[in-house]
Amino acid sequence: MSDIRLQVKDVSKAFGITKALKDVSFNINKGEIHALIGENGSGKSTLTNSLAGIYQKDSGSFILDGKEVNPVNQVEANNEGISIIVQELGTLDGLTVAENIFLGHEDSFVKMGIKNTAAMNRKATELLKKYGFERIKPSDMIENYNFEDRKLIEIVKATYFDPKIVVIDETTTALSREGREELYKHMNRIREEGNTVIFISHDLPEVLKMSDTITVLRDGVYIDTVKSADIDEDGLKKLMVGRDVTGKYYRADYDEKVSDEVVMKVEDVSVPGLISHISFELHKGEILGFGGLSESGMHEIGKACFGASFDREGSVTLSDGTQINDIPTAIEHSIAYTSKDRDNESLVMNQSIRDNICLPSLDDLSNKVHMLSDKKLKEFADLYAKKMSTKMQSVDQFVSNLSGGNKQKVVLARWIGKDSDILLLDSPTRGIDIKVKQDIYQLMDTMRKSGKSIIMISEELMELIGMCDRIIIMKDGKINGELERNKDMDENSLIAKMV
Amino acid sequence: MNTSVETAGKKLSGQLKGYLLLIILVVISWGIFKIITPDNFGSASNMLSYFEASLLAAVGAVGFYFVMVMGMFDFSIGANIMLSAIVGCVFANRFGLGYAGLIIGALLTGSVVGMLNGMFYVKLRIPSMIVTTGLALIYESIANFIAGGVEQTLPSDLRAFGQMPGNIILAIIAFAIAYLLLNYTKVGTYTYAIGSNEFVAKNMGIKVNLYKILAFIISGAFLGIMAVLTISYGSSMVAVTGMASMTRNFVPTMGCFFGLAFKKYGMPIPAIIIGEFVINIIFFGFIALGAPTAIQDVITGFALLIIVTLTTKVAKGEIVK
Repeated sequence: MSDIRLQVKDVSKAFGITKALKDVSFNINKGEIHALIGENGSGKSTLTNSLAGIYQKDSGSFILDGKEVNPVNQVEANNEGISIIVQELGTLDGLTVAENIFLGHEDSFVKMGIKNTAAMNRKATELLKKYGFERIKPSDMIENYNFEDRKLIEIVKATYFDPKIVVIDETTTALSREGREELYKHMNRIREEGNTVIFISHDLPEVLKMSDTITVLRDGVYIDTVKSADIDEDGLKKLMVGRDVTGKYYRADYDEKVSDEVVMKVEDVSVPGLISHISFELHKGEILGFGGLSESGMHEIGKACFGASFDREGSVTLSDGTQINDIPTAIEHSIAYTSKDRDNESLVMNQSIRDNICLPSLDDLSNKVHMLSDKKLKEFADLYAKKMSTKMQSVDQFVSNLSGGNKQKVVLARWIGKDSDILLLDSPTRGIDIKVKQDIYQLMDTMRKSGKSIIMISEELMELIGMCDRIIIMKDGKINGELERNKDMDENSLIAKMV
Repeated sequence: MNTSVETAGKKLSGQLKGYLLLIILVVISWGIFKIITPDNFGSASNMLSYFEASLLAAVGAVGFYFVMVMGMFDFSIGANIMLSAIVGCVFANRFGLGYAGLIIGALLTGSVVGMLNGMFYVKLRIPSMIVTTGLALIYESIANFIAGGVEQTLPSDLRAFGQMPGNIILAIIAFAIAYLLLNYTKVGTYTYAIGSNEFVAKNMGIKVNLYKILAFIISGAFLGIMAVLTISYGSSMVAVTGMASMTRNFVPTMGCFFGLAFKKYGMPIPAIIIGEFVINIIFFGFIALGAPTAIQDVITGFALLIIVTLTTKVAKGEIVK
């Protein structure tokens, strides 16, 4: 019997004039975790979305256990034995947890047109218990749960029916350390049962740790398939980028003294239920890191400093005495903020790249009588989109059509274009590939050197260690420790203060 | 075991809160008019007749809820009621089909109008508000043509649904069907799923366009039943033109707002029924006061805004459109 589970044969897919996949062919085996890696826009999500019925491929074929499959939606894909956990939120408000888990599969609970809600809830309770998520109640409305819990519910939804292939598309970045461990546990279980996981991640150490085989795509073209045991991180980077990734990755300096000039003073800031009595100072030219577990409250820090938190107490004061209590004041005083929840809080999805980049800079781009020039907007957006190496047809393209990483580049391009002096970056490299990560780190370093101040909130400890002058560790909504930049700092010294 | 008890308790407290809010609204709206005009408003028999009158719009509103919860709108409600009532009356009276003709004629007309609304909306891919406004003009003209410009009167021996217990029975059957559809069929689940995120719903294999058309058909069918109740209650129907039928949109739409506002308590249908009752208490209160129509409209409009604002607790940061 063949070990091959899925044959990808000459699969091509184009969006307008952009060819997202060009005759991609490779095989995936049974009982393996098969990683799919590549830079942003390399075609990973397009390929798996085509397999899972979210997109329709233009040509080529997917052969699953010897039979060609062409699902036109996720339910058809499920019926063929393929499921997917998407990069962004895949559950629906207005429905209960159980209704979300069985959405599209209600027929097993319907008799003569009537849905047996009690039986559906019972089955969901059983599944949630089996997965160790007892605290999640099937009859609760899904909106009662946070992003991470909803991702855990998606894990149940995607795997409860023992599919032959489970696609996990850049899901780990949305999860805390504990959430990731849960996911890894289920990935290993799927493999042990003889089924297959297609794992998409930009975190190369995670890819090497978790996968058996790795396939690399670049610009929609198949590059190579390698065994994880036979390659290291540098080898993968070379395959992804097409050349050796040379030069520094993180900052190389350790002895530079941060200016004494305070640009932002945060005093006794609290947001009910999220953060409590937070005080710190941000200095000119400093990169100040915030780390902690996902629910530690660190993600609220950016919002609180940007005037975007609700019911915030305490004060955020700039060097000129300006109090930041609302977003317009923050933007007016050269503060930028990028949210972790890119799609919902940072981007206007159904607008063009141009509109998204120009949005906070419209006043600067308008003429004396407040009229906007189409040409000027386009040039401005084009300049900063290209500066961020955004893969796009033109700035007129809708943001919703971009890959996750390229969306993030648009968010950053917006604030670079605004030339903000204080940047509040929440998870700035989430879902970003290795090459662009390097670009972002270098950009941050350049900004720092030019006197701009940055607050970097991240769940990736290595980037905090590599980039920050100081790292504040949050726990249970409070500051639990502060570490100064030094060569000997490692992940363990941060974890000790996080848990 | 504890879990299910806990969940049931939580659910109950949510629903209980919703019911309490609605009862408070009934008491307040009754109390205000009772104080101002104690003699000719708000006796037990008066309240029963207000409730009976509110059933008409409540039936239409529970159907319209399926359309609204999906994020669509229908401006042809009034034209649909008018056309369905006239066709039902013609079937019952002119064709001599009696009650069967009245119900089937109105129900079928309402459903067909709903289907046309849905199909035009889906196929033309233009906003439902625009589609239904355009179609309302056509439905009005058809109704006028069928009626021959003459007021259509339902004979007194065919008006059982205009009084107790006929009206109550028909309304209860309609509410029960709506409740069943919403809570115990795929239609209800998919209605909420499409209303929440159409793209994800589509990826889950839900035939979004089909269910949108179905929502309009359901809405139309319930408006057909509302037409039966309306013509039975009022005994006749005039086929107006020039968008004059739009005045009939207001009350069912208001009831629907109650349903949407109380959706979070898990009780949209009871909220629509009690909400329509509150609206009728206010209407009849004004009549008892002898207030001019313009004043009635101004105060009713403000009352609607106040009620929906007070009952809709929008989460911090939630975007309201």
